[in-house]
Amino acid sequence: MSNDVAFLAEFSGGSPTHAALELAAGAADLAEGSKGAAVALAYGPGAADAGALGAAGASRVLVLGDEPSPAITHAAAAAAVVRDLNPLLLLAPATPNGRDLAAALVGLVALPAFGPVRAVRIEAGRVRTEQATLQGTVITVSEPTDDAGQPAIVLVLPSTFTPREGGSGAAKVEPAAASEAGPLGAARIVESHPAEAAVANLEEASVIVAGGRGVGSADGFAPLHELAAALGGAVGASRAAADAGWVPYQLQIGQTGKVVKPALYVGCGISGAIQHRVGMQTAENVLAINKDPDAPIGEFADLFVVGDLFTIVPKLTAEIRRRKGR
Amino acid sequence: MVCIKQVPATTAEKRYTADLRLDRAAAEAVINPLDEYAIEQALRLQESGAVESVGFLSMGPEQAAEALRRALAMGGDDATLVTDPVLAGADAWATARVLAAALDKLAPDVALMGMASDDARGSLVPGAVAALRGMPLLSYGSELRIEGSSARVRRLTADGFDIVEAPLPVVASVTDQVGEPRYASLKGIMAAKRKPMETWGLADIGLSPDELHGAALTRVVEARKPEAKSPTERVEDVSADEAVTRIADWLAARKLI
Ligand SMILES: Cc1cc2nc3c(=O)[nH]c(=O)nc-3n(C[C@H](O)[C@H](O)[C@H](O)COP(=O)(O)OP(=O)(O)OC[C@H]3O[C@@H](n4cnc5c(N)ncnc54)[C@H](O)[C@@H]3O)c2cc1C
Repeated sequence: MSNDVAFLAEFSGGSPTHAALELAAGAADLAEGSKGAAVALAYGPGAADAGALGAAGASRVLVLGDEPSPAITHAAAAAAVVRDLNPLLLLAPATPNGRDLAAALVGLVALPAFGPVRAVRIEAGRVRTEQATLQGTVITVSEPTDDAGQPAIVLVLPSTFTPREGGSGAAKVEPAAASEAGPLGAARIVESHPAEAAVANLEEASVIVAGGRGVGSADGFAPLHELAAALGGAVGASRAAADAGWVPYQLQIGQTGKVVKPALYVGCGISGAIQHRVGMQTAENVLAINKDPDAPIGEFADLFVVGDLFTIVPKLTAEIRRRKGR
Repeated sequence: MVCIKQVPATTAEKRYTADLRLDRAAAEAVINPLDEYAIEQALRLQESGAVESVGFLSMGPEQAAEALRRALAMGGDDATLVTDPVLAGADAWATARVLAAALDKLAPDVALMGMASDDARGSLVPGAVAALRGMPLLSYGSELRIEGSSARVRRLTADGFDIVEAPLPVVASVTDQVGEPRYASLKGIMAAKRKPMETWGLADIGLSPDELHGAALTRVVEARKPEAKSPTERVEDVSADEAVTRIADWLAARKLI
């Protein structure tokens, strides 16, 4: 048994993902409290050169592999590390890749799993997690049972931790001990199709202007892009808008889309169905513009404006630009 | 073989019991909505001749048989329910253990699941089942295809999509992009009554309650209502210019502009 706090650090295109930087900061804080080390399990293109994670909070990096393959293909290597290190806690990002690799560890090592959580603490050597369950209607606090082994696997929602800025720590980077990938390694990426245009990463955006069915068409998103630009944010969408093909699915917010936590979320022409709500309800400030006074989003928005988005959004953009002096 | 879970209806009022478990008796129970997309995907594979038969597997209380009947009313051939009082409150690990053991016995080419359950939302069961069964996982597919002796999924990436492939047998999970689930027709509902449904206990899949650690390696120690948030401010029945001034003032007051 150790008091280390391990975390999954995914790399993409040569650098750590935002989720990896968030978890590095969280692991470093938790490890300080547990008097252990923050250990990264790095994988994906660029992971072999993972020294950057030192400044982000890690004191040690074990590289599982740096080829572009499905995350779960690193499961056997990760399981070997977990058995050897026996950390108290393993943080995984609540992203599809993070969940897959964490899930394989649950199966391979028989581990208690939690999440997606919005907070994790170590109290008297015990892991405690806090989770919004049942579409956010109940907050539960959970812990491993007495006979559950280490580590507790914790899926962490985006923006639960804030990446360190200007950190100077150095991490020891070493390859994880060689291990056979086994049957989980048999899934291969046989084709990769990047999108023609860059897609905003909503998990990093501090302002999101989201459009729904009420936006009416792909062209209807133009005023939302203008508003997002004026606010320094990104554009998101409901499933209805993504299903209609007006925006790429990467912009979908909700149960089967992204979970976001911006300082400001602006919902335009979005009714606020429960499946959308679970993706944006942790936004700090929620502004909704909807022409239906009875839209469900009116029950949980902070500011609910009843009106036509096509009239209000352009005027709002102009007013914001005016106030910002541009 | 499609794994399905019976869950409280998404919009139903939920209650916790004194021992901090969801009061399942209090809410209308349905097939986990995301599993309906998995069912739809499986039925489309059967219709195109890519797979011969479609079966359904569920772990849950005896009432979960209703969910299996409803699945059979959509289509497919047979169903299996694994039920045991010991399994009440099973966590991701125990659920995966049970499903993996049942799937080992059923030995399908593809064990298909929805990407997450509406209630737990961990998305951990597909990957854990793959690991326990020692087979590849094709996860979060917006489409699943079977070609010869391999399966492939189309999977969203940060800025596009990948095609991920693995040799059969596989464990796979799909998203709600596979296509809208069909409704059960009256004919389907009648036909479902005659389709075979088996009920297994733990012993039938070679598991003992002891090795399941009381069906969970995790426990809930507290359940409470979320923090009350401030009431919604409404802007209504004013001119567009007035509404815009009010929004801008609100943004400024919160230091958002
Ligand atoms: C398993 C499952 C998973 C799902 N996952 C997601 C998910 O991840 N994300 C998601 O978003 N949804 C998801 N959904 C779908 C969800 O249930 C809703 O159908 C969807 O969110 C509705 O999108 P919407 O609000 O854009 O459209 P609608 O509900 O049609 O609402 C459109 C709104 O626009 C308003 N409007 C129209 N014109 C104007 C105008 N000119 N000005 C202002 N307002 C206007 C209308 O009053 C209305 O309120 C899921 C559903 C299922 C079953």
